[in-house]
Parts: sequence; C-alpha cells; structure tokens
Amino acid sequence: MTEPTLSDWKAMYRALWRIRLFEGQVQRFAAAGEIPGFPHLSTGQEAVAVGVCTQLELEDVLFTSHRGHGHVLAKGADLEATFAEILGRATGLCGGRGGSMHLVDAVHGVLGATGVVAGNLSLAAGAAWAAQALGRRNISVVFFGDGATGAGAFHETLNLAALWHLPVLFVCENNGVAEFTTREEHSNVKFVSSFAAPYDIATKTIDGNDLPAVFAAAGEAIGTLRGGAGPYLLECMTFRMAGHYVGDSQQYRTKDELAAIREKCPIERLGRVLLARGVEQATLDALGESAKAEVLQAVERARAAPHPDPATVLDHVYRSPALAAIQG
Amino acid sequence: MQHTFIEILRRALDEELARDPAVHLLGEDVAAGGAFGVTKGLAQKHGATRVRNTPISEAAITGLATGAALCGLKPVLEIMFIDFATLAMDCLVNQTAKYRYMSGGQLAVPLVVRTQAGAAGGAAAQHSQSLESWFIHVPGLIVVAPSTPVEAYGLLKSAIRLGEPVLFIEHKRLYTMKEELPETAALPEIGRSRIARSGTDVTLIAYSAMVQTALEAAQSLEGEGISVEVIDLRTLLPLDMATIAASVSKTHRVLIAHEAVLNGGMGAEIAARIGEELFDELDAPVMRVGCPFSPIPFAPELERVLLPGAADLVRAAKRMCQ
Amino acid sequence: MTQVAQEIPKIGLVMEAVKVVRWLKAVGDAVIAGEPLLEVESEKSIVEIEAAVTGRLTEILVQVDDEVTVGVQVAWIESAEAPTAALATLSGPTAKPRTTPEPAPPQVAATTGSAARDGERIRSSPVARKLAAERGVALGTLAGTGPGGRIQLEDVRRVVDTTPPAGETLSPMRRALARAMTLSNAAIPQFNVSQSVDWTEVQFLRRELMPTLPAGTPKISVNDFLLSAVARTLMEYPELNATFSGDPDSPHARIVPSKGAHVGLVIAVDNGLLVPVIHDVERLGLADVARRREECVERALKGRLKRDEMEGATISISNLGAQGPDRFTALINPPQSAILAVGRQRECVVARDGAAVIRPQSELTLTVDHRVADGRLAAQFLARLVALLEARDWHA
Repeated sequence: MTEPTLSDWKAMYRALWRIRLFEGQVQRFAAAGEIPGFPHLSTGQEAVAVGVCTQLELEDVLFTSHRGHGHVLAKGADLEATFAEILGRATGLCGGRGGSMHLVDAVHGVLGATGVVAGNLSLAAGAAWAAQALGRRNISVVFFGDGATGAGAFHETLNLAALWHLPVLFVCENNGVAEFTTREEHSNVKFVSSFAAPYDIATKTIDGNDLPAVFAAAGEAIGTLRGGAGPYLLECMTFRMAGHYVGDSQQYRTKDELAAIREKCPIERLGRVLLARGVEQATLDALGESAKAEVLQAVERARAAPHPDPATVLDHVYRSPALAAIQG
Repeated sequence: MQHTFIEILRRALDEELARDPAVHLLGEDVAAGGAFGVTKGLAQKHGATRVRNTPISEAAITGLATGAALCGLKPVLEIMFIDFATLAMDCLVNQTAKYRYMSGGQLAVPLVVRTQAGAAGGAAAQHSQSLESWFIHVPGLIVVAPSTPVEAYGLLKSAIRLGEPVLFIEHKRLYTMKEELPETAALPEIGRSRIARSGTDVTLIAYSAMVQTALEAAQSLEGEGISVEVIDLRTLLPLDMATIAASVSKTHRVLIAHEAVLNGGMGAEIAARIGEELFDELDAPVMRVGCPFSPIPFAPELERVLLPGAADLVRAAKRMCQ
Repeated sequence: MTQVAQEIPKIGLVMEAVKVVRWLKAVGDAVIAGEPLLEVESEKSIVEIEAAVTGRLTEILVQVDDEVTVGVQVAWIESAEAPTAALATLSGPTAKPRTTPEPAPPQVAATTGSAARDGERIRSSPVARKLAAERGVALGTLAGTGPGGRIQLEDVRRVVDTTPPAGETLSPMRRALARAMTLSNAAIPQFNVSQSVDWTEVQFLRRELMPTLPAGTPKISVNDFLLSAVARTLMEYPELNATFSGDPDSPHARIVPSKGAHVGLVIAVDNGLLVPVIHDVERLGLADVARRREECVERALKGRLKRDEMEGATISISNLGAQGPDRFTALINPPQSAILAVGRQRECVVARDGAAVIRPQSELTLTVDHRVADGRLAAQFLARLVALLEARDWHA
C-alpha cells in the first residue's frame, strides 16, 4: 500500500477495535461457559495483526498460532463464521471441527493455525515454496510468539527458508512471556531478531503496539519478499493485555493502572495519533461504536447458529467416503 | 527384461514427474540420487526446481512439503529411514494427517512421504525398524507397503494421484529384488489387497518383504499337504477387510506375519478385527508371527535370530492345523 | 455332568409290561444317544430300548427277567448334556407321532448352559459350533481332534456327513418301513397288472351269509373275501406262492416255495403301517378268516403282534378303503413276491348282455416280482382271483 490516507488510518483504527471487541466477547462467553476448550486471546496485540495484514493481498497466505483470532479477522475472515467456529457451531469456518486454535479460512488465504508452538513455521515456508515453484506472486506470512524460538523447527525453518530464498514473512509477536514464564527463562537471546543474522535473513525489531510503525515495517518487508529477496523476520515487541475490554475500564482500575494501559494500548496510541492529525473524538467514538455493533450482531447470530450434526462426525477424515468405509 | 525395485520405482517417479507439473521431489540427498539411488538422474532430467535436496531437517522438510501440498504442489518427500520419521512426527501427526478434518474439508494435503524400513544386516537398532503400526493409528493418513517392484510401481503412482497424505513404506531388502515390468501394468487401487497365492487351509496375511517369505513358506507347506492362501495387504491403512473376510470364510485359519515387533504391531489390529467380525468362521485362534520384543541388534547372527523367516511361518502354520 | 435316568419308553399304544431280556451294555460303557441299551420282550416282539442320552452307563437298575412297565427307570447314564436337553431326547420306539423322538436339538445353547451350570466346558472352535448348530449336531457327542481336545470343523464335518440334517429323526417303525421300501424299490423288479372286479356277488354273499353264522362271529368284510380268494388263487398258482432268495447273479439264488397260503394284510397305524400275516388261509372258511383277521388287526393296532405273525407271507393285500383312490400301485413288501392293491368301490356303468347296467366295482392292481413270475402268470393269477370274487363258490 502506498502512503495511507486518513481514511485508511481510520479504517485501521476501526479494525483494531473490531479485534479488541471480538476478543472481549470471546472472553465474556468463555467465562460464561459457552465456549468449549481454552481460547487464547490476542487482546493488546491487535496492531501487529492489522498492521501486517493490511499490507497483504487476498492471494497471500497466512498461518498463525493458537493466539490467532486477530490475524484471522485482519486477513478478512467473516466475523460471524469465526465466532461460530470458536463456539463450535456447524456454521463455523471449519464446521466446528477446528475451534479457536485451528481456524482455517481458505477463501481468504488463512491456511491454518496450530496449537503446537512453532508447528506451522515450516508449513508457511512450504506455502512460499509452492508459490515460488509455480511462479506465483503471492507471499506467505506466519505469526508466532517468542516461545517458538525454543523449538528446533524454528531454526530448521529459518535455515531452509533462507537457503531456498523462500518468500515467507516470519512475524514474531514478542510479548516477553511464553506460556507462564518470562523470556529470560526461555533464552539467553533477548531479541528474536538476533536469530536472523546467522541464517542470513533480513530482520527488524519494532514496537508492535505502534500501528503506523508496524504498518511501515511490514510494507517494507513485504516489498523485499515480493522482490525475491528471500525470507524476512519481523519482530514486534508487544504485550499481553488480558482481561481488558470496553465497558470494563470504569470498574476498579487504579489511576496508575489506567495510565500504564493507556501508554501501551495500541488503540489508545493510534487514537492519540489520529486526534493529533485533526480527527474528532466523536469520530473515533463512532468508529468504535460501529465496530462494537458489528461485533455484537455477529456474535448473537453465531450464538444462535445450529450445533454440528453428530452424524457427520466422520466426514472429512478422508476426501473419499470409500476410503473411510474400507477402514470401517 | 528384469529390473530392480529401485529402477522400477525410479521409473514410476520419472513418469509421474513428466505427467504432472505439480509433482516435486524433495528430501535429503534426493537430487543427488538418494541414499539408495532411487532418484538418481531425475534432477538432471526434470530440473533442479522439480527435484531438490534438503538439509537434514526432517521436521522442517515435512512441514515444507505439507505447506506446499496445501498450495498446489504434489510433493513426494523422501524420509531416508523410517526410524527418522520420529523427527517428523509433529508435522505428520498433528498437521498433515489432520488438515482436511480440522479445516472442515476446506483443505487437502496431496502428499506422498516415501520411506523405507526393515533390517538388512548390520544396520543396527536405529536404522532397521518397522514402525508402520504407529501410523495406522493416525486418522487421516494412508499407509502403503508394497511387496514387489511391480507392486511398488503401481502403488506409488496410485499414491501420488490419490490426493491424500500417503506414507509409502519401502523395504531395504526388496531394493535389489528383480522383476519385469509389464508394458501395461495396471495401477492397483489404494485400499485393496491382493491374493498372492490361492489356498484352502490357512490364510497367511503379510505385507512388504514378508510376502516373499510367506510365499516361500506356502510352497514348503504345500509339500506337506497344507494349502496356504497368501494375502498381500498392499495397503495397511485403510485395511481391506473384505478380502480378508472372503479368505477366512474359506480357510477358517489365519496366520499374520510381519517383521515389526509383535507387541502392538499391525497383526494385533488385524487379529482383533478378525476376532470381532469373523469369529464364527474361525476354526483356530488367530496367530501372529513377528519380531520378538527387542531392538534390532548389530551383530548379523543376532539379527538373524530375531527376524521371522519362512521356517517360523511353516512351524506356526503347522501348529494351527493340528 | 448330569446323571440322566434311562426309562422304559412307551412301545405301541398300550403296553402293560415288558420283560428284560438282555443288557447290551455294561456298567462303565460309553453309550451314544440312540444306541441300543437293552432288549425287552413285549407282546409284540423283542424290542430294543435305545439310550436316551450320550454318556457313560453308570448303574443298571433292573436285571434280566425283571418285568418293567412304561416309565420305569432301568439305568443311570452320566451325561455331559444339560438335563432339559436330555429329557427332550428321552423317548424310544413308538407308534404315536406325539411321542416320536425329537431331533437331536441344537446343542449349542445347551452346551453353553451346561458349562455355566456344571463347570464342564466343551472346547470347540466358533466355526465348528456354527456348523453343529446349523445341522443339529450335539457337540457333546463329538470327539475333538484339535489341541486340548478342541472340537474343530472337521470333527463336525465327519459326523455331519453321516448324520441326517436337522429334521425329524425316524421312529423305528418309520425306519423299518423306509428300509423295506427302499429295498423293495431297489432289489425287486416289479411290474403290475390291473383288472376290475365286480362286487355284486360278494355283496350278495355278505348279506346272505351273515345270518347263518354263529353269534360272536365278526362281520365278514370285503378284506375277508379278498384274503380267502387270494389264498385259493395262490394254491392254484404255486409259482407265485414263492419268494425269491439271493442275488440273481449268484449260484445260490433260489425261488423258495411256500407250503401254505400265508397272506399279509396291510393295516394303517398311527404314523406307519403294519402287515400282519394270516397263515394257512386256504384252510379257513370265511368266518374263520374273519375271526383271524379281526384278532390280527386288533393286536396290530395295540402293537402286540408276535414276530411270527409278521412273517411268512408271499403276498399282501392293501385296501385303502372307501376313502382310497380309484386305483393305485403298491410296492411289494420284501421278501414277499406280490402285493394286491385294491381301489375304492364305485358304482360303474358296465355292459352286461348288451345292456348298460350299474355295478359296484373296484380296480385291482397286482404288483409282481418279475424274478418270480412273468406277465402271463400274473395276468392269469389276477383273472382267476377276479373270477373267484365274482362267483358264488364260497364257504363260510
């Protein structure tokens, strides 16, 4: 994308809210017991998703991790179908077979999410290889957390992607926490971008909560990919903002807490940037309300959707029912 | 004119590469000809982009092949020894096998993973295993184990064209086996076993290299008045129970033979199914012959003692017919 | 294992007492269901009592010359079968279909039941059990040749080939009849000749003769006339009053003449036939024939025929009576040489002296053993027989 207009920024602002509010609804209904399993929220990391995905074409393919709702939405997946999948309904993206951790929307190029850390880095590389081998223009993007650098697959894939010059963008959301322990306990290497140089991969570390920064860095990286320069590792420093969503802020926050949140929150920060550029608060509020209305409607429709028919449980193990039948 | 297993397999790959531009070969040393020479000359013939060497990264290359299969390629990945499949398990089990299902049918993985198994004298514990029973345990995978060069030719082509993730398990000791490839060799259907030898007294179920051993045993038993029907499974997953049922309804006695260890082996699954579905046809308990529960030792005489041979099958069959 | 009581079954309709004649098995012997266990003598003849179950004879309760009645326990048999199954097979030779022995019931369930109850298991392979159930073979009757004595498919197959498929097993009478008729069909080259007989004279004589007979004389029936006429004709045609003995190819083959006219009369009993024989009929007047006939039939129906009352005839008469067909062909009862089948009496239009008259008639069909007589002799015999029946030359 060329230099975005104010309109583009406002759209991205709304997109941030869309993800924030969606995750808020996931949290709400998970707490109410309506969501099976354990969804992982990307609250606070919206800027990475929106910043990168706004620079992607429809044909570009995306892989993500268990914390991938934001990426999936930012790539263009339908809100209702995504929420329905998280609820496990028949109208979900995967007919209720995948769930929160395995969202797939092939039509929009969302090719998969994995619950095994670093599990699909190599798949993203493979998708890039296919594009290269078939002479296509599209690139491949994979989102992962800093914990993935502990996996052998991370290193194997970086090595292979660089060796084969694959057009794959590795986006690391480094929120300083992997599972329940801080980065210091996972690795001596503070910044994930440090791993790029040994494999001869281009890299950059940026503030992942700064949407314009993410947008710019992503655009630059993707540009090099499309130019055939080989893989790129973009490290986005961010934070996990668990538990905060619209409507909650009036309840119990201390002034210090609120201040700290305002300092980091990508929505707050972009809002300040837009205000500084002459956008009215009311406009910002309206964008937020619009996103909220969209999310709430989609969530209600998803909650009313039918459950999957148990009779179909064995569908899609194989393409051919004959194969499944022989197996008995 | 006769050709070896390796040559015939190479021909199958060569023909599929020529037939379908989506077919790509990759693996360690694959462009250089492969550890056993199966892919020799193919890179030169079809180009460096179609036949590629990879680093020693089983996990990454399996993921690479899977991701590529999601996006329009038909990769044929070589895992040099099935013993190394352990390194590829996360991808194979958690991604490759489950993609169609988890995505609700949106995506497919038309991928063939070629590998080889079995003991061949001195390869020792980490290069001699038969691990097929791990993979029949994973819904979404297809597992094929050819028994002869001509069988491998047809089955590999069928696997490449199937559109599902197929684990194609060759056997070291079969690589030098020679056969003549008929001009119009039919492509066997994945999931259909074949009767390698007709008989009436005992059904002997085998696959891969054990089929040759089974035929040898059947020949010997014929001389002693026991007529053995040998079933070559060809496909281990899905299992062709129809062919097995027809045979057992005729003979009423079943012996299953494989090189893999008995415990939790392929034979255990087949025996359980036969017990469930064909109980009233049995005139004797289902018996299995397989490797004792031990890693494969290095010294050839130790290895020889473990591996089931024709004599073991003959003994077992005779006991069943008492 | 259960101890099963071996009882004396009913032999015939009424049976007062029988005498134990001979034990065919000793204590400790293995017995198989259906195998003869002991011989008893009834009014009718000596009868074999068959073992009710398979097992081992453990105790004999009655001795030779003891008199026993129906239901008396004569022995104990230790059986592997369940008691209910054993009782089901507990019935011996009988004339009544209701007490005809049931087919060996499919023993599969019973065997399993007995296993649960008795702790004694019959080891058998599933396919052996399946075949045994299909064919009604009792597993307990089989010897297993598999490992540990397991009954295998071939063990069942061996028995199945010689055991009749599930269905009614034969009563001794039916078996005897089946044997006889099979032999008759296979060994005796039979041909037949037919002629109508006019009963006018016989009917007249019956009316005329009855009042003249002493009180207590049974009514003279058509069969009596037939018996008498056949006997007289036999004496006139001694070639037919003989039986063929031996294999025609053998130098020992003979035609054995009979010294008197001994004629059998086919009597229908429940679920079978009996053919009592009246000896020396040629010496009897009609009244005596009637008396003898009546006694014979009564004893036959009661199952009390003596053995010699069932032997010796060279010819039998089979009259199916008023409900019978117009005509039929009977099979010779070996070792006899002929049989006369008598069709039902009908009012027929016949020509007499150029006029059409109505006369009571029957079709007689004489089946003859071609080894003994040829067509001309048979025709002559029959013609003479009819002539006698149509004449008035009778003695009471």
